[in-house]
Amino acid sequence: MGLEINKLKQMYYDMNLIRRFEEKVDEHSKKGNIPGFIHLSIGQEAAQTGVMHVLTESDYKFPDHRSHGVCLLSGSPKKKVMAEIFAKKTGLCEGKGGSMHIADVEVGNMGNNAIEGSITATGLGTAYASKYRGEDNVTAVFMGDGTCGRGELHESMNMAASLKVPLVYVLVNNGYAISTKAEEAHSFPENLSDRAAGYDIPAEVVDGNDIEEVYNAMNRAVERARNGEGPSMVELLTYRWQGHFSGDPASYRPKDEVQKWKEEKCPIKNLRVKLENEGVASEKLDKLEEDASKEVEDMVEFALESPEPELEDAVKYIYAEPYESMKEGK
Amino acid sequence: MRELKFSQALNEALHQEMERDEDVFVLGQDVGKMGGDFGVTKGLWKKYGDRRVIDTPLSEAAMLGLSNGAAFTGLRPVVEIMFADFITECFDQIVNNSAKAHYMFSGQLTAPIVLRTANGGGFRAAYHHSQNPEAWLMNIPGITVVAPTTPYEAKGLLISSIRSENPIVFFEHKMLYSTSGEVPEESYELELGKAKVKREGSDVTIIASMKMCEYALQAAEELAKDGISVEVIDPRTLVPFDKETIFDSIAKTNRVVVAYEAPKTGGYGAEIAGMLNDEMFEFLKAPVKRVASKDSPVAFSPKLEDYILPNYNEVLEGIKEVVEY
Repeated sequence: MGLEINKLKQMYYDMNLIRRFEEKVDEHSKKGNIPGFIHLSIGQEAAQTGVMHVLTESDYKFPDHRSHGVCLLSGSPKKKVMAEIFAKKTGLCEGKGGSMHIADVEVGNMGNNAIEGSITATGLGTAYASKYRGEDNVTAVFMGDGTCGRGELHESMNMAASLKVPLVYVLVNNGYAISTKAEEAHSFPENLSDRAAGYDIPAEVVDGNDIEEVYNAMNRAVERARNGEGPSMVELLTYRWQGHFSGDPASYRPKDEVQKWKEEKCPIKNLRVKLENEGVASEKLDKLEEDASKEVEDMVEFALESPEPELEDAVKYIYAEPYESMKEGK
Repeated sequence: MRELKFSQALNEALHQEMERDEDVFVLGQDVGKMGGDFGVTKGLWKKYGDRRVIDTPLSEAAMLGLSNGAAFTGLRPVVEIMFADFITECFDQIVNNSAKAHYMFSGQLTAPIVLRTANGGGFRAAYHHSQNPEAWLMNIPGITVVAPTTPYEAKGLLISSIRSENPIVFFEHKMLYSTSGEVPEESYELELGKAKVKREGSDVTIIASMKMCEYALQAAEELAKDGISVEVIDPRTLVPFDKETIFDSIAKTNRVVVAYEAPKTGGYGAEIAGMLNDEMFEFLKAPVKRVASKDSPVAFSPKLEDYILPNYNEVLEGIKEVVEY
């Protein structure tokens, strides 16, 4: 099913926004303005954008460690996502989360997580809560090819299918778990998501760099979940252009492989060609790109100017219901 | 007042809380039709059905994941991990999600779960059904560790735990399930973080919870015949720890024994000894004595298990040693 031009233009904007965002994060990570480990998703913008255009703010989203784009498109004030990565008080989690732990519960971002597979089990709970209350929102958990080795995922799939909860496993298969290819460390028939069949979970494999394919596959999975038909898995075949983390030279990958993905399978370039073929003027697309760059520049400025957390924040929120006997001085 | 067994008191707490609050639900292995391995969830499934009482597969990680996620949306799961030894199977969820969700997202999420689990030796159940992993949990900021001794405490502390906004690990010593005691029929809460002086004394203080508290009370009774006055304190919760009650006692007795069933090294008594050294040094007339398990797995052979775990006599001798120092 072809998507409306206006929707595709919005997706084009969002994908550019993610790419510019990641480039700026990379730059400021290398400059030392951003602390900690940074996992970039340049090259994977269609996988994130296509999925997020299906989900609404009332759906529960559990992004993984490589999910800045998912956080950006959740509906949060975007500059607060950037400020969070900069460890600033104005960030979504007041600077306590950082790149790998960003939540905005108001818009259903239940927090990205740095333990692979952990959220596949946690997402089971939000999905069960929707069913418990008779609500029609769904849960989407993000995972990678590396996550397929985690026991928590398999326990989650088994229970999700048995309880028939509204859950979608978004398997972003970018080919490598750090340096290890899926076929080197896993045993599976043809695709990683073939395993879902063993749990009676339907799975679909699509080109994760083709925004329309991603959107349509995700849409089918979400529809199934909303209709009470239980969990699904969507496997999005994609590629990360950079190393596992910002600064990883990724010498484990053949250069021509990277080059091929960049030249032939760039999700942004390919959508641009499609839009131009549909008659969208080149200048209009240029303008969208410029606007995206400008929006990211503003986010960076906001983040740079924002204050760091206060020292007293270090002991805040350890307990949701603090204990009298644990107050300082006792 | 009527008497209930420890397991019945827990069961009554669950019935009353599920009746009171539609958001409370129970999950675990065999908690439904069977009513739990120790009968603690008896009758819940018949009354509330599959939606609120879930018989799960052997998937502790998914059980805790489900609990955390449901709790993030405001539900109040009570999850039974049949034996405390199996906590290893869901440790990621406890350590990385239950404990940290509230902190790392700056208060946006809470994880009001209760993880009930049976700990302790004495059942001849050996290595994988007998451990006392309280200290594993105490080293995770954000987790509350509850350890009731009597049926009265079991009911009141479980009700408080279910109503708390904090993630709670609730230990049930399996040798206590069949002990009896007075339990009010109405619903009541006991404050988390409040210790109980179970016997007043002036010569020495013994801090002991769960099964070890029973030994401590027996020893105090016995030593009274020799004119030794023992104060027995049950912390009831190991985190938070009621320093005030314990420090007041030590300021009076100046001598202290800590008795715990876990391996001596790194057990919760080790933390208490460290804390007293830090904060109560000038009040102490004798070194803090730890009576604990040998640093060994809990063996299968009854003869070996009895040798490894701390027993009544060691508690008695430990108190004497500190008094005579």
